[in-house]
Amino acid sequence: MANKSRPKPSKLAVYLYIPNIVGYTRVLMNCFAFAICFSNKRLFCLLYFISFVCDGIDGWCARKFNQVSTFGAVLDMVTDRISTACLLVMLSQVYRPGLVFVSLLALDIASHWLQMYSTFLLGKSSHKDVKDSSNWLFKAYYGNRMFMAYCCAACEVLYIILFLIAKKENENLMDVSIESIKECSLISFLLGLSLFGWAIKQTVNVIQMKTAADVCVLYDIDKKEKH
Amino acid sequence: MNCFAFAICFSNKRLFCLLYFISFVCDGIDGWCARKFNQVSTFGAVLDMVTDRISTACLLVMLSQVYRPGLVFVSLLALDIASHWLQMYSTFLLGKSSHKDVKDSSNWLFKAYYGNRMFMAYCCAACEVLYIILFLIAKKENENLMDVSIESIKECSLISFLLGLSLFGWAIKQTVNVIQMKTAADVCVLYDIDKKEKH
Repeated sequence: MANKSRPKPSKLAVYLYIPNIVGYTRVLMNCFAFAICFSNKRLFCLLYFISFVCDGIDGWCARKFNQVSTFGAVLDMVTDRISTACLLVMLSQVYRPGLVFVSLLALDIASHWLQMYSTFLLGKSSHKDVKDSSNWLFKAYYGNRMFMAYCCAACEVLYIILFLIAKKENENLMDVSIESIKECSLISFLLGLSLFGWAIKQTVNVIQMKTAADVCVLYDIDKKEKH
Repeated sequence: MNCFAFAICFSNKRLFCLLYFISFVCDGIDGWCARKFNQVSTFGAVLDMVTDRISTACLLVMLSQVYRPGLVFVSLLALDIASHWLQMYSTFLLGKSSHKDVKDSSNWLFKAYYGNRMFMAYCCAACEVLYIILFLIAKKENENLMDVSIESIKECSLISFLLGLSLFGWAIKQTVNVIQMKTAADVCVLYDIDKKEKH
């Protein structure tokens, strides 16, 4: 019989962990934000930003209060994916060609899905543990948490800026960008800075898909070897 | 095929629907091929799942552009991704080989859905058919969803029949998606609780 040094938490208790409550708040905030995103752009951006900050806070809460949970990690991941997806959907409505943003949505989902799958196959605890990867960009990206955080934040900042500077629907993406760069040097600076981080992240996403696909294939090959 | 289909979906609606339908049929064929040629692979299963999720997502994005309120379709997109993601995660935690193996589930709708492959196939197909029909009957952008549906039902009885038939299967599938999220979330929570028990 296992020696229980602390009481077994009930299911409800885990659902009510502080970081998970932060997670639910994020979900509700995002639902409201996207409902008003066209009628009140600034409020939408504020709520989206707060949600993004909470994304960092809930992990910190989990470690501080010793309330790390698998459910919390999944809630976090799913909320991230869906909020980014919704933002890309809005951008695809506002800009032409909308297909650019739909493609980014597809890449985001495919790369994270494959990466999570391969993480499970390899038995790793987090998809951010990439010790045995041979690709230099991978190592640079995952090896340096600040750099990784910059790249992730850069994507969100880029999308939010693009959403903010669009004045009406069916804007041409190139025209709007060039106009904004001419008008305001602050926006140019932010656009440039976030574009760089965004480019790194998308490149890593593509490499991640290839690496994860290889893991799936090797998993089967190794399994057959053992028979 | 899907990439090409979505690139031309507004300029050539009929070709888009044809390609989407062919892609959907191939979705069934590749599983059959894998078993027939003994070429089942983990990579193949993941490729299949990811292609399904993305093609449904893209179709919902198109529908959210064409109809008001677009938020309806964006919400369905969110539900589709969240439920499948959670379900896949919980399948891994439980060590099951496929998210379609649900022997020990207590929910009656779950058992009915997963227990009967034909019923499940009908519900999945119904969602796709519903979305495709809605896409086809929209004549311009910014249609009101309710107006277009009611108009089409009055005009053509075949469309009414197809809409009704697919709406029923769609409703079942979305309900199962919601239950799936709750069940999968419970699996994640219980996984941690069990892990703590063993220490």
